[in-house]
Amino acid sequence: MSVLIHSPGTSIGVALVAIHLLSALLGPLFIPYGPTELAGPSLLAPGSSGHLLGTDVIGRDYLTRLVIGGRTSIFVAMLGALSAVVIGGLIGVSAAYIGGFYDDAIMRIVDTKLSIPGVLFVALCVVGFGRSIPVLTIVIAINYMPGALRIIRSQALTQVPLDYVKSARLRGESKLAVIIRELCPNVLEVVVVEFALRTSSAILAVSALSFLGLGISPPTPDWGLMVYEGIRQIYIAPWLVLLPAFFISTLVIGLNFATDGVANALGLDAARGLY
Amino acid sequence: MLWAWTPPAAFTERVMSLLNLKNLTVGYINPSGELVPAVKDVSFCLEKGETLGIVGESGCGKSTLARAILGYCRPGSFIMGGEALFEGKDILQMSSSQLRDLRGQRIAMVPQNPLSSLTYHMKVGSQVDEILKIHRGMDSKAARIHTLELFAGTNLPDPDQIYDRYPHEISGGQRQRVVIAGALACQPAIMVLDEPTTALDTTTEIQVLKLVKDLRQENDMALIYITHDLTLTDYICENVLVMLDGKIVEQGRVANIFKHPQTDYSKMLIAAIPRVDAKSGADAFLPATGAPKPLLKVDRLNFRYGQRRSLTAIFKTQEEPLAVKNVSFDLEHGETIGLVGESGSGKSTIANIICGLLTPTTGNILFDSQPINTTAEKRSLDFRKRIQIIFQDPLSSLNPRHRIETILTRPLKIFFGLKGKAARDRAIELLEAMELLPEHLSRFPRQLSGGQQQRVAIACAFAAKPDLILCDEVTSALDVSVQAHVLELLKAIQEKTGVACVFISHDLGVVKQVANKVIVLQKGVVAEAGTTGDVFEKPAHNYTRLLLAAASRENHDPGC
Repeated sequence: MSVLIHSPGTSIGVALVAIHLLSALLGPLFIPYGPTELAGPSLLAPGSSGHLLGTDVIGRDYLTRLVIGGRTSIFVAMLGALSAVVIGGLIGVSAAYIGGFYDDAIMRIVDTKLSIPGVLFVALCVVGFGRSIPVLTIVIAINYMPGALRIIRSQALTQVPLDYVKSARLRGESKLAVIIRELCPNVLEVVVVEFALRTSSAILAVSALSFLGLGISPPTPDWGLMVYEGIRQIYIAPWLVLLPAFFISTLVIGLNFATDGVANALGLDAARGLY
Repeated sequence: MLWAWTPPAAFTERVMSLLNLKNLTVGYINPSGELVPAVKDVSFCLEKGETLGIVGESGCGKSTLARAILGYCRPGSFIMGGEALFEGKDILQMSSSQLRDLRGQRIAMVPQNPLSSLTYHMKVGSQVDEILKIHRGMDSKAARIHTLELFAGTNLPDPDQIYDRYPHEISGGQRQRVVIAGALACQPAIMVLDEPTTALDTTTEIQVLKLVKDLRQENDMALIYITHDLTLTDYICENVLVMLDGKIVEQGRVANIFKHPQTDYSKMLIAAIPRVDAKSGADAFLPATGAPKPLLKVDRLNFRYGQRRSLTAIFKTQEEPLAVKNVSFDLEHGETIGLVGESGSGKSTIANIICGLLTPTTGNILFDSQPINTTAEKRSLDFRKRIQIIFQDPLSSLNPRHRIETILTRPLKIFFGLKGKAARDRAIELLEAMELLPEHLSRFPRQLSGGQQQRVAIACAFAAKPDLILCDEVTSALDVSVQAHVLELLKAIQEKTGVACVFISHDLGVVKQVANKVIVLQKGVVAEAGTTGDVFEKPAHNYTRLLLAAASRENHDPGC
């Protein structure tokens, strides 16, 4: 708690993330329309008492879509980032502990993956395997795995030479036991921070893909998709673009601020960017 | 005409002390959220070229004070009040860019643990290069040459070879010398040394201290030397502050405090120093029972580092020298053998081979007449159980993320299949044997003091009911007073269980207290071996005499 008090940035970040999560989960309870329901009397209606933010280009209630629009990308981004960090983390820690050829082989694969631009990789996979939420989640997971793997491995490398690992070896613990019981708890801080950073980056990626028509398919409401749909009306109804963009930015900024604070509290250096 | 004369700035600076601490108070936030002062109202002055020792037990606020002098607080700690004037400017008010210029360049720090102050993944040479490039603007070539000079200056053997090694490839003493070389790189005005030689053996310690002393005189550099070991301040410092619970309890000339300590605390610190000239403690341990076969037989052991299977091994044309050369000794049941020698002499390597972390290049190790030349993974459960090791640094040997209960019950489960309440009861028994309390079970290692941590590590080793215990510098990370207590407990439990012990230490005083037999190692070769009495009273080898002289000089000859 003392972290929140001492750093206003962290409190702002945590508040932003909390607001977004709550509104995505609970918001629809307070809104009478469905996200794909053709609810309005007219297309592109301005705000009124029935539709606070008016309707979109085919007459759906805009506020409903805006509130729900984060759900899919947050879900895909979180699940993708979680798998990336957990699987990548396990491989990274085992590479650090086992070392030798196994480590070399894994790190060269990681290097290869890191040399492919992320967006290009995701776009190609989506084109190749089809546009669906499972494909998107798996592709996001694979895309972020090498970076997370490398960072977690480097943290594990600082632990491997320590005596408690030697003690475990001398007790005759199996490699798996050393990795899971001894090493994993000691890289947990990095894993948490990695997860948060990768999630915020993945939200941006999912939104960008949706905007490009490679992410979430209509009619599912999604911020990136809504920006794309609104862009043709930008001169008559600029809020159709600005509001979802604002929601994306506040969520990502909130996540980054919160992560910074948590990382500082854990004594980690979060200033390193993603790659 | 009346006018007020104000002295020019340069003048005031000249009469000002180099470092002037006024009522400095630093506090920590404890788990219940209160701000508790760890350093209380500390004031002192440090003049140019002065050497000041700060002595006290661990937890007395020495290290916190040292950090505050560099304008740094650990996370969770805050400067609550006071000033730290360096050349007239308050360090505590400086901006971060001013601090960057100050640290390393004007005030350098040598921290306690060289393993954590060096980056694992960089060659040690490039780490020192970096300092020279950033602070002194050298190019790569000049930096390399200068680094090699610094390495040579800190008595590192083969600077060229050391330059290209990683921190884990050099010994603890060499690591600390690399760190000191880094601190000296910018010829700072003040060098803060926080327990820098705790991990070094006596001879290296003296060499390093002498070097620091010489450099201080050459550069007119002031030293702040933080230690728990009064004998060291005696050797290196002119003035000393004794700290207890964050407060200065005594200060003055070193010689005075040593001869006429005023407070009970200082008297206690002086009394707790183990001395080489004290009575040998060999008879206190169980003497050899005269069993027909030795418990452990080490026969012409050789070991060479660098038998790696990586790509770099292909390009290595030069073979690494032998780290252990033709070492043989026997150990009976219940006997204690002391391995002494300076850092890099192969003491720890021998322990690592016996316990199964390393495989000997050639030679034989017989345990209970059976060969154990393999790594621990390939040994039977029985052998793994019967040989246990206690490492130097308990903070590193206890998993920081596990509670003491988890740490203690794990070996009980593996070796005896104990689970649940039975394991817990046995763990409490073990803790009590080490004079710890049952409630310590729910703590994490960091919530215990250094001495308590080491006692947990000892309890953990004895959990397996071993026949042979390897103590690798078990007390060198501890304060003198805590060290005495830990040794006593170790002795008691050894008497009770009749376990044999290989006791590795660079501290001859400690070895004399505990060992029946002593082996003196020099560069991996046995220089001398014999009973403790013989070796200490009639040393036959020059190197042994040198070690003994170094140890007794440290104890008796202030300010040499």
